[in-house]
Amino acid sequence: MNNKKYTLITGASEGFGKALALECAARKMNLILVALPGRELYYLADFIKRNFEIDVISIEKDLTKVENCSALFAEVQQMKIAVNMLINNAGIGNTHLFSEGSVAFYQKQVQLNVIATTLLSRLFLDMLKQNGPSYILNVGSLCSFFFLAKKQVYGATKSFIYFFSKSLRRELENDHISVSVICPGGMNTNTSVMLVNNKSSWLSRMAIMNPEAVAPIAINGLLKRKEVIVPGVLNNFFLMLNKLIPDFIKKFITNRQMNTLKSIPIESQQYNSRPFIRLAASAIS
Amino acid sequence: MKIMITGATGYVGHSLALELAKQGNLVHVLVRDTHSVFIPNHPNIRLFKGDITNLPSIKRAMQDCEQVYHTAALVKFWEKDPTKFYKANVDGTNNILASALESGVKKLVFTSSCGVIGSSIGEPLNENDPRISAFDNDYELTKFIAENMVKQYAHKGLSTVIVSLSKVFGPGIETHPISVNRAIKHFIEGDITFIPLPASYISNYCFIDDVVKGHILAMKNGISGEKYILGGENISYLSFFTMLREISHVKTKLVQAPRLAVHLVVYLQWIKYKLTNADLFFTAKAIRHIYCNKAFSSQKAIDYLGYHFTPLKTALEKTVHFLKTNQHEQ
Repeated sequence: MNNKKYTLITGASEGFGKALALECAARKMNLILVALPGRELYYLADFIKRNFEIDVISIEKDLTKVENCSALFAEVQQMKIAVNMLINNAGIGNTHLFSEGSVAFYQKQVQLNVIATTLLSRLFLDMLKQNGPSYILNVGSLCSFFFLAKKQVYGATKSFIYFFSKSLRRELENDHISVSVICPGGMNTNTSVMLVNNKSSWLSRMAIMNPEAVAPIAINGLLKRKEVIVPGVLNNFFLMLNKLIPDFIKKFITNRQMNTLKSIPIESQQYNSRPFIRLAASAIS
Repeated sequence: MKIMITGATGYVGHSLALELAKQGNLVHVLVRDTHSVFIPNHPNIRLFKGDITNLPSIKRAMQDCEQVYHTAALVKFWEKDPTKFYKANVDGTNNILASALESGVKKLVFTSSCGVIGSSIGEPLNENDPRISAFDNDYELTKFIAENMVKQYAHKGLSTVIVSLSKVFGPGIETHPISVNRAIKHFIEGDITFIPLPASYISNYCFIDDVVKGHILAMKNGISGEKYILGGENISYLSFFTMLREISHVKTKLVQAPRLAVHLVVYLQWIKYKLTNADLFFTAKAIRHIYCNKAFSSQKAIDYLGYHFTPLKTALEKTVHFLKTNQHEQ
């Protein structure tokens, strides 16, 4: 048996997951990268192997399917490797009215954001206990503190993540497992999100961070056993303001904010969609 | 053979058009201004007035062409109206691709940039390596989106190949305020040259003649849907200018500028822009592009296209000769 310790990251092939993978690699942590089937995962693993002297294992899994969570755990168990850090990063965002999303979309979103995070935490729990001191990092969102239109289900799933993490943290303190939740604001994670970010207002554009800037804050916070990690000065400022200003003003601000944001058709959430690019390009102007 | 080239009034497209014309091809060039001083002159070159954002003009220029080289793009760090990047680089590319598929073009080579791949850590990057930092400018983002469209068209039945260029230099027309050629020129003319501190950051430089040949090789040997880096040597800023100093026998001062100082200059320029509306050449975000490693490997092009790059020293000698005499000996 290999006595190295591994960090497992879900949704590792792009965006924040990729940035976390690179950050962990730079800290010489061995990695298990989990992502949707596709070449990008292997390209990333190959890049990390060439540039850092660590072990990298790639596992292709679509975690929107329940059985794949168990299959992932079984695969790791079979390899007889020890995971001491679990990063539940995979998630699906949305920016559209509730009526604009399909039943299938919300099902997938809740499945990935909520169920997969819960199941993987449970499945890996004993392994994390055995290999302590261990860490769980759940990726929440700043938007779980603000009740934004067009982010209803996304925000709700991230509220779940927030509650789950804080509650679980209290339970697992004696097992030497530190549970942290990171609540980033807007990030330039993939092209479609970037195009949307580009057309936001000046202040919200200022608050948008690059994933490679958030990743070190996340891992630092995690290793320092911080309970809630909010990256960025402006994001912290927003959070503080949120506690201070009365509800009716908040309502006014968030409404105004969301009205300036055009909905993104779900089928266009992939960056390579033509109609979406047109939409985004026209919206920037 | 009839070949269409977009961007023939640009640095790479200009040299490419001349080379293809010299080889005996009939070259159709689509230009916005038929009186531009940058139009390549050769009996085999036919001018078509138009624009990549104008479909009918593309169709006229593309008629009966077997091959298309799409080198046109809006290349800038900054543009007051960012939609211009989308119109030229995304919509323009889509227009070219759609017209090529429709008119039965056999193969298309798309000129892209290593900037899409991004910065490196240690090992030189290859075509598949992931970006380690988010896109922070519309140029690279729109070229990335365009590359994806080019790859998609390979599945739609149009044979397409992407070539990614690093920092191109060498004899040719001067179309940009910021270019390696211009930096070389200033240096050999004795102007104090600022390089990043530390000067050990590595960049990749490719010679225009190699790039032109690389395009033609990509058209000949490139596999549809694939991307090939056409680069040159990876070398630090300091070694680059040290080599240049030896070649040109000048005693120009090299000053290693800390990042903070460059930030200051950029902010001053920004204030000037706010006051006078003068165009920005450079932005604060662009500083990151200079203070980083950009090492690339051209191994795939060497192995699969038969690409070859001139040793940097030879290429610099030719460039210095050209910049001093305005003559290029091939």
